[in-house]
Amino acid sequence: MQYVIIGNSAAGTQAAETIRKYDNAGNIVIISDEPHAAYSRCLLPDYLAGERSEKTILFKSANFYDRNNIDTMFGKKAVDIDSESQKVYLGDGQTVSYDKLLIGTGSSAFVPPIQGIDEPGIFNLRNLDDAVGIKEAAKKARRVVVVGGGFVGLEAAYSLYSLGLEVTVVERLPQIVPGQFDAKAAAILRNDMQAEGIRIITGDGIKEIAGPSLWNRLFGKTGKGVLLDSGERLKCELVVVATGTRPNVGLTAKTGIKVNRGIEINEYMETSVPNIYAAGDVAETVDVVSGELGLSPIWPNAIVQGRMAGLNMVGETRKYSQMIGMQNSVEFRNVPAIAIGLTRTPDDYEEIVIHRPHLNYYRKLILKDDVLKGMIFVGDIRRAGVYAALIKKKVPVTKFKQQLFKESFGYSSIIS
Amino acid sequence: MKQIFVDIDKCTGCLTCTLACAAEHSSSKDIVGAMLEKVQPRISVEAVNGKAVPLMCRHCEEPTCVDACMIGAMQKDKETGIVSNENNDQSCIGCWMCIMACPYGAIQPNEEEGIAIKCDKCNGREVPACVESCHTGALIYVDGKTFAQEKLTKTAKALTEAS
Amino acid sequence: MSDCKTCPSVDNCYSAHEAVNQMQERLDEMGVDTVFTRYEKQQPQCGFGMQGICCQLCSHGPCRITPKASKGICGASADTIVARNLVRLTTHGAAAYSHHLEELAKTIKATANGKTPYKIQDEAKLREIAKVAGLDLNQTANELADQLADVILSELRKDSEEPLALLELFAPESRKKVWRELGVIPGGVHSEIRDALTKTMSNINTDPIDLLLTTVRLSIATGYTGLVGTVTLQDILLGTPELTESEADLGIVDPDTVNIVAHGHVPLVATAVLQAVESDEMIKYAKEAGAKGIKVYGSMCTGQELMQRKGTTASNYSGQLGNWLSQEHHIATGAVDLVMMDMNCSIPGMKSVADKFHTKLVSVDRILRMEGVKDNIDYVPEKVEEQAKELVKLAVDTYKNRDKSKVQIPDHKSAAVAGFSVESILGALGGSLDPLLDEVKKGNIKGIAAVVGCTNNRNGHDSKGLTIMKEFIKNDVLVIAAGCMSSGAEIEGLMLPSAADQAGDGLKAVCKALGVPPVLNFGSCVDIGRIGVAVTAIAGALGVDPSQLPVVASAPEYLEQKAIADGVFAVSFGLLTHIGPVPPVTGSPLVTKVLTEDIEGLTGGKVLVEEDPLKATEKMLAHIDKKRQGLGI
Repeated sequence: MQYVIIGNSAAGTQAAETIRKYDNAGNIVIISDEPHAAYSRCLLPDYLAGERSEKTILFKSANFYDRNNIDTMFGKKAVDIDSESQKVYLGDGQTVSYDKLLIGTGSSAFVPPIQGIDEPGIFNLRNLDDAVGIKEAAKKARRVVVVGGGFVGLEAAYSLYSLGLEVTVVERLPQIVPGQFDAKAAAILRNDMQAEGIRIITGDGIKEIAGPSLWNRLFGKTGKGVLLDSGERLKCELVVVATGTRPNVGLTAKTGIKVNRGIEINEYMETSVPNIYAAGDVAETVDVVSGELGLSPIWPNAIVQGRMAGLNMVGETRKYSQMIGMQNSVEFRNVPAIAIGLTRTPDDYEEIVIHRPHLNYYRKLILKDDVLKGMIFVGDIRRAGVYAALIKKKVPVTKFKQQLFKESFGYSSIIS
Repeated sequence: MKQIFVDIDKCTGCLTCTLACAAEHSSSKDIVGAMLEKVQPRISVEAVNGKAVPLMCRHCEEPTCVDACMIGAMQKDKETGIVSNENNDQSCIGCWMCIMACPYGAIQPNEEEGIAIKCDKCNGREVPACVESCHTGALIYVDGKTFAQEKLTKTAKALTEAS
Repeated sequence: MSDCKTCPSVDNCYSAHEAVNQMQERLDEMGVDTVFTRYEKQQPQCGFGMQGICCQLCSHGPCRITPKASKGICGASADTIVARNLVRLTTHGAAAYSHHLEELAKTIKATANGKTPYKIQDEAKLREIAKVAGLDLNQTANELADQLADVILSELRKDSEEPLALLELFAPESRKKVWRELGVIPGGVHSEIRDALTKTMSNINTDPIDLLLTTVRLSIATGYTGLVGTVTLQDILLGTPELTESEADLGIVDPDTVNIVAHGHVPLVATAVLQAVESDEMIKYAKEAGAKGIKVYGSMCTGQELMQRKGTTASNYSGQLGNWLSQEHHIATGAVDLVMMDMNCSIPGMKSVADKFHTKLVSVDRILRMEGVKDNIDYVPEKVEEQAKELVKLAVDTYKNRDKSKVQIPDHKSAAVAGFSVESILGALGGSLDPLLDEVKKGNIKGIAAVVGCTNNRNGHDSKGLTIMKEFIKNDVLVIAAGCMSSGAEIEGLMLPSAADQAGDGLKAVCKALGVPPVLNFGSCVDIGRIGVAVTAIAGALGVDPSQLPVVASAPEYLEQKAIADGVFAVSFGLLTHIGPVPPVTGSPLVTKVLTEDIEGLTGGKVLVEEDPLKATEKMLAHIDKKRQGLGI
């Protein structure tokens, strides 16, 4: 049996490991356009800050591939798939046949169409190579502008700040982490970061990034000018763009696989084409909270989907339908925060809130018909997983609704 | 594989198990020393309507915390079955994803050290420190089959005696 | 009161009182811990401690009685450990009451010698007591007072082998007989305390029954000195209570005045302060600071004392703010300038809350010290006039630091009637208890329930006490309240004649005829002694022993050690004594059985432990019925 996996991150490696557990004989090959062993993208900011090295951001041990008898084709990009003949075509002309194929190509940084964005000195933070580049450029920089106030942007900002740079974050929407937290939570996190001296601008977009040549001409030195919609100009020597990602679905173009924004999969991780599976950032699944199909670019989801794909690929047919699209955990400076499921309360839903921004404390639960649909914990994140389980399993909370915010609420309260 | 089971009726809430846990994970290996070193216990006793309920990590078969760990620090040992984020290739980064994932709330943040801490079944000790310290027999260290069998026998006996 | 779902209270609303819940919300918002939130954090509590089977006396310990260790290391059984712990708790209560009495006796001596701003208010009572005590009545009031004070002091200081004279003079004969047979007639209180402490040192007295008898003996000693003795001396010095009207709850706080709170049990300093605030000098000082005047409020027992003394303090006393559980919440109004703390029940938590506001705490008792409180103006009778002025000045100076924008006074208050005593009841009934006893015989009043003692968060601040009071009056049982329970009843309007509408038909009719509330305010914790005097009088009038009366005692929210002494005293007096929280005795089946069953055969009274207020009232009502049958009424 020939198992081919395109993608060497969370989903891909987990699938490979699972397949090997059940099938000792089959051939497993992982194809990846990056030359590195499986590293955790989530830890790139720590790498940037110098807290982790290339070795200590790997999430699989060095001999992972040997130990599991996995063939690797690193540094090769898969560009096309022929689902009829069951072949994968690589960029260098090679062909790889498959019996079972897993597409775990993840996503790439989205580069917004801003004038001057493709000049040198402007980086994304998606790959290790990006991080290496930023680190190098940071050595010669004093000021950096981070475009995008989401997770990646703020983590990058904090990392660069800890390297000694002056950091300004520019976010188009009125709050930071707009996709992950609500306004009240975002305000607390913002206060915490700004106390450090990081400047955060919200509600303003980038009009243009003035290139080095213009700069040089005007000021006689290297640097960038970031012009905002509001008219303000920010000077810097380095720009990091973190404005979201797009799933890497390009190679499915000729396959007829059903693709929305990501590759649609069912509860068995199967795509619309037989013998082709998908998992991770590139895939779309039904979110248990919204009941709708959507992307779920979250690390734990990628791991579970990878494992599920592996199981189904070896014939251990297993269904998985408890995916929460949105679950995030963060601690930029001193205030930890976790958000799961819905973060903004729809009109006919119920919310329970304790809001004490002066104490860096915020808790919100969103319910519909006594079922938890979302939660945000800022400041005190203990036992967040208990609430996450209530969301995933759609447990009615009527019996202990009065106790949800008690100091003593936990798993024991549910089983008693 | 032996697990820690809890007989809730026997728990008096004395919290000795949490002290023993701290002591075991301290350098002085005694309760007073552990308090001075400010070692955080890895287990907790929750209060439900005035009843004390110990909360133990179950060292799950398919641990959600292992899935959630984005650095691979949290692993389930293939031989012992112990789920832990210590003594593995990678070290914990304190991202709190495992806390977000554990449906039992058995993992806690150690804010001072910036890592998540959880039960590690005392890392190979013959009997975990908490079980050994329990005065009432509320904590039992036994494998699942034996526990189920004993419970079955006890229930059957009670039913026979009642009729 | 906003959202039940976000309120982290364990089982019920923090407090039965709206104003306190409001202030708790305010403190929650500020991120300030209170007794309520700290209670949550302490859960779950250790079962060994709760059962009383933890002994920490020697360095072999701490020992616990567990399934694998049925005895302590010295061989002490659960019975020994529990009984020993119980005696130790009682000694605290006895000692504290004894401190109060001693301060009083010293004050009376100093007053008799013209050295204090006080004067002997109730000369008639003085002469009456002096007569019973065998003093020569051909003396001035001051001379008699001086000698009576000496009698009291000797009662405190004499040997445990010399029986208490106060008991001999005031206890019912039938009771003395019971106690003599049990061998529990106590001697001097300090000696009894010393004996009890010695007995409970490790490996001295390990006999649980003897230890229990020691508890009984110590409680009786406390009853006749710390309770009856204190009440009597306070009546003589400060005036026997007469019916007055006052107000209660946080809504009485005046945002425009300098506000002083007297918190504790001993009303001596507060009495002097109430005099001082009337002086031109102090009023001028306050006005110069921008205030309209100076007001003195009460919290807990000191407040009750000030409220009920019609002849002295009641005239310019501004009302009762609350009780033990709400002491932090009084300060949360932001309008309290000075809290004068005496004797006991000032919790360290009060300082943490005071620090968030401008409020100053001051100790007015040499035994009271609190971390962070630098102002200590220890009461000395000869200096109290100056001390009172110093305290008022301190309050006015602190008032200058008040942040008016932080003042938040909940809009809740209630009027309340105070001042019930045997004397005032007799006065209302025309000089004899017969009208009251007739109603009891007729069944319009089924019986009398003393609902007394502390307030407790275990049951929701005052809610169990109030439930029991309401149940009783619904069932035509007259309620007498004292201590923190009085505060609770005052705030919820039960101490108004209009509350008779909540009573059953029989009781309602009697109350309306007499114009009294169905819940009579007997005052403070020491006024439990007054209840003892009342029960003695009723028993005497009917010619029976107190254990035969359709009377019960209930401390539904007891908290501390003085309450334990009170409770055992009530049991020794022959009364069914209900307590709400489970006392730390259940680890010993022997002690539990003795207290809840066997002791009835010895003293006629016993302990009823029942956490559910409705079930408790049911059981107490059944008991009252039984006693009625026994009396043939």
